[in-house]
Amino acid sequence: MIDFYGEALMRMSAAFATIYLVALGHSLFELSGVLDLSIDGVFFLSTGLAVLFSAQLHTSLTTLGVDPLICTTLASVLTGLVTALIGLFLAFILTVLPISHGAVGLSLMFLGYGLGIYAGYPVRLKYGSIAQFAYPENIVVYSLTLLVSLALGLTTYRMLYSTAIGAMIRACGEDPHAASALGVVVYRTRLIACGLGYFMVGVGGSIFTLLWLRYWDIRSYVLGYGWFAYTIALAAGRHPLILIPFAGVFGALLEFNISIQATYGLPVDLAGMIPFIAAIALMTLYGSTKLKRLFEPPRGLGKIYYKEERTI
Amino acid sequence: MKITILKRKKELKYGAVIASLLSILFGITIYLVIIGLFGVNLVEAINILGKSFISPTIMKDFLIIYVMGCGLLLSFKASLWNIGGEGQFYIAMIPGIVITLLLFNPETSSTTVPAFIVVLLVIITGSVVGAVWAAVAGTLKAFMNIDEVPVTLILNYIAYYLVNHLVSGPLKGKKTYGYLRTDEIPGIYRLNIILPITRTGNQFEEAVYSFLTQVSYYIALLVTAIAISVFTWWLFKYTKLGLYIKIMGSNPEYLYATGVNTKMLTLLIMALSGSIIGLSGSLYLLVEWGRIPYGIQSHTPGYGYLAILASWLSMLDHRLLPVSAYLVAGLRNTGLSIKIAGLGDTEQTLIILGSVLLGYSITRFIADYEVKIR
Amino acid sequence: MNTGTLRRVVLSINNISKTFPGGITAIEEINLDLYEGEIVALLGENGSGKSTLVKILYGVYTPDSGEIKILTGDKLSRVNFGNPVDAMKHGIILVNQTPQLIDKLSVAENIAITLSTLRSRDHSGFTSISETSKLLKEVSESTGIRVDPNEKAYNLTYSQKQFIELLRAIIVNAKIFLLDEALSYLPIAEKKRFYDILYSLKNSGKTVLLITHKIQEAFDLSDRIVILRKGRIVGVLETKNTTVDEVRRLMFGETNNKYIINNNWSNPEEEHVIEVEDLAVRDDHGREVLSNITFCVGKGEIAGIIGVAGSGQRELVESIVGLRKPIRGKITLAGVDVVRKGIKAVREAGVGYIPDQPLKQGIACDNSIVENIAIMFSSNPILINWDIVKEKAVEIVKNYNVQSKSIDSPVKTLSGGNIMKVIIGKELSYAKQALIACNPTRALDELSANNLVSVLKYKAHAEKLSVLIASEDIDEVLTISDAVYVLNSGRLIGPFQPSKVPRERIEELMVA
Repeated sequence: MIDFYGEALMRMSAAFATIYLVALGHSLFELSGVLDLSIDGVFFLSTGLAVLFSAQLHTSLTTLGVDPLICTTLASVLTGLVTALIGLFLAFILTVLPISHGAVGLSLMFLGYGLGIYAGYPVRLKYGSIAQFAYPENIVVYSLTLLVSLALGLTTYRMLYSTAIGAMIRACGEDPHAASALGVVVYRTRLIACGLGYFMVGVGGSIFTLLWLRYWDIRSYVLGYGWFAYTIALAAGRHPLILIPFAGVFGALLEFNISIQATYGLPVDLAGMIPFIAAIALMTLYGSTKLKRLFEPPRGLGKIYYKEERTI
Repeated sequence: MKITILKRKKELKYGAVIASLLSILFGITIYLVIIGLFGVNLVEAINILGKSFISPTIMKDFLIIYVMGCGLLLSFKASLWNIGGEGQFYIAMIPGIVITLLLFNPETSSTTVPAFIVVLLVIITGSVVGAVWAAVAGTLKAFMNIDEVPVTLILNYIAYYLVNHLVSGPLKGKKTYGYLRTDEIPGIYRLNIILPITRTGNQFEEAVYSFLTQVSYYIALLVTAIAISVFTWWLFKYTKLGLYIKIMGSNPEYLYATGVNTKMLTLLIMALSGSIIGLSGSLYLLVEWGRIPYGIQSHTPGYGYLAILASWLSMLDHRLLPVSAYLVAGLRNTGLSIKIAGLGDTEQTLIILGSVLLGYSITRFIADYEVKIR
Repeated sequence: MNTGTLRRVVLSINNISKTFPGGITAIEEINLDLYEGEIVALLGENGSGKSTLVKILYGVYTPDSGEIKILTGDKLSRVNFGNPVDAMKHGIILVNQTPQLIDKLSVAENIAITLSTLRSRDHSGFTSISETSKLLKEVSESTGIRVDPNEKAYNLTYSQKQFIELLRAIIVNAKIFLLDEALSYLPIAEKKRFYDILYSLKNSGKTVLLITHKIQEAFDLSDRIVILRKGRIVGVLETKNTTVDEVRRLMFGETNNKYIINNNWSNPEEEHVIEVEDLAVRDDHGREVLSNITFCVGKGEIAGIIGVAGSGQRELVESIVGLRKPIRGKITLAGVDVVRKGIKAVREAGVGYIPDQPLKQGIACDNSIVENIAIMFSSNPILINWDIVKEKAVEIVKNYNVQSKSIDSPVKTLSGGNIMKVIIGKELSYAKQALIACNPTRALDELSANNLVSVLKYKAHAEKLSVLIASEDIDEVLTISDAVYVLNSGRLIGPFQPSKVPRERIEELMVA
């Protein structure tokens, strides 16, 4: 029997892992200079996909004697692979074609919402609760998730700041033209960053529904949790290590927000507003203080990469 | 073989029209591919798609999307991406409920204020609230250079929650048969003209009549749409603000260098955009809903997002906006009809919206660039 | 030296042409062979198409027609570069006038990028930053150029950055070095060290294409001189068999006019329209690029500020008109306290402004000519009187000889020179008290440039307009100005009287 605090701690670590992985993936994505406005849609899509994959794997593989935990883990990985494909698609068209990052991102946001419902809704209809397909509620799983997400963060940090590929990714984000002159194949580099980044977003989304909430609903697409990851990535300068405390605080806030409704009877809608107001407050804090100079976004972020621009 | 993309050396004739049409076609194709993959009968779907564009029920959607599209177009032309139409639309309904049900309710208090003044007050306060809501994002953009896209989107969620909270708390109705929603606003404040039902037996006559019924029922929307359309035309043709908006969209640095206070301008444009959205929100309350239901996110037709689509598909040209608003209204009706036909659910509108937007975002570059294969 | 008989052609350019939007032909039917072990200078004025050619050779631009062949193995084979990496893989490296290093990355990281791209081809694996640092140290010892691999690029001086770009080319063992104005702005001592390295490269069989507009540089270094004029090659000469005069004639054509230097030294009694006192300004990266700037310009005076590219001219003019907030100092322009009141008040006082980046701050390319003029010449606060504005637009188009279909054409359909004429036209018509300009004759043909000079002189001396011109073009400044200042590394030296100080002295001050 796990006591109240133990349970709170477990849920906290799930909250942290979700927010951290999504923000980390989003940061890696944007560090390569591609603006990521589809984050919330892709986040929701990955929750739906996770539910779909997990249900499918559980119903087919467990009869063959495969451990349910492995099925759920596989579902997380599969989800990440699908979102990684979306990342590759975005990186490719936004680098090769002179089109608006913002417009494409928003379109995919809506598509993500729609497809997420397509993926998750039938499962929800058929089984009611998805808890049976979720990760087991056991302290080892929660601790492992926490460790894996931190390890991914450290690896990303090492890759970004001590390998040539990391330098290439950052070069693409700062100035794709200069990067190209230095020998970076911009689209190939962005494929790597966006593919890996969205893989982590997908895994984070799957953890959200399969570990943290252990619940999925058609209306979840209005949750907008993808925007929290967006906000903290902005405020933490898209730095894998600085993201850690931010993800901790926001994860705690969101978890607290869920439990506050249950425990203290604060009106549901007022409680629901708090994290969003906190997000805007954080952006304001970022914009009005030295944080902005310190954690400046990549200079080429969201700019159309077109080589033959003319100057006088 | 290498594919290169080069800026056009000469402008493409009818580039905007070609790009719009291509993106619609491309978008509908993506949509059909997606639902086809999920096992929807495409013949049936295409049939529904065709019918949706000629149904008289398209009228309401067309008018509201057109008005909101004008509001968004104002900001989009200045490269200010007000994606917060949804929030501005619903938050603007709140003063309408307060004014008609709490302040000047003829059923509970002896108010002597003429109904048209009350209606005017609803519309004005709605516009102001919409403007203020959009101005929050405008302020952050103007003075701290915070991207308005995430801010307006996050404000949508806050608006949903806030409206839900008010509807389930302070503004909760008393005569709602147990439903969680506000009371119905008094009949004298409703703006519909209802024609009596007539049956002639002639199919053509009945179709015309059903169309007229829709027009008269939504007469207030029609009048507003015409007024906003004239306003937009005047703004861009004769006013300095209109010119500022256009130049802000193509080169804000130049505008600033000629001595224009672009920060205040940013704020003004966002507020103006929000006020038109707010206006349409309060009208929608008076004309269509008559009350606010709880759980906005489940009841919203998503006009705030559909209007973005209409505005973009017009290539930000207000002369093309009626056409694109009609197309988008048709697409929304398709989503609805597909849902009614049992072929899908809420996701349909979202997928249509996403597909056509994606089609637009990808294909629009051909208006300015050419693709060369060597 | 027996040119060409024994040595092999390493790069062959055949019939290359390129046209830009707006119909401006940048280069036309360029034919040129480069041999191994030679230094070729490509000489031409600004806008003659040099940079376009280089960008094509480096895979940045795609040519409209023609082909490029490169020596691979024993024979020339046709190449089709999609990006600079393709060019690098064929042994071509570009060192640009503006360093291409990424500011936020360290020196080692910048070089590791190139190294790892080229290595991934021969499967020697992933390049780590620390490995690159080691390599960098080795090469720096063999060439005598000191570098700290861990230094961030934004902390380096211009010369240091250029040396690192050169080291990069050496580290990756390039065969063809393209130097696009890479030496033009280096101080003399550094330039000499660069020369030595280039000679030794040449002796080891490498090919150097030196792109420059400086005739002297071509004579100092090259074996052959190729002259570009208006997008065409007008001469290929053996350096030792030609003269500076012949090269100059080919470069500028017959119409090259002598400079008429002003002798209009300002009267100190005259009222000051521009006053700058102890000004210090930061650049976009937050570094202090200007300090202790103090000068003034009298009514009807033309002051010229000369400096090499990136000496802070842009930051100076931007802060004078109120577009850039200084760290400290006082600026008074046409009676306006600029630091407190900003650009709006400056413009209202009747100040014209021709920016360093004309397409960014000087015009909106998506809008029509008349719309661009309307935002400056419409006095009614709400409505625009289109009749008056159109009249004004027609007048400007006529007076400044703008070639355009109509005043309703979008500016982006015009050529670079014509866009510049629209900017100059509207700003000069707008300026009542002062004109602040940066490189105003860029992209203009000689005739229009000469016209501009005489209009400016008339406006200043007859209509008492005060003019401040910052420029990279020493001839332009000497021709126009009544008083000349030199801007070097953020410090202002002067004033000098153009007729009294020798040109060589000014050149020295620019790079000292």
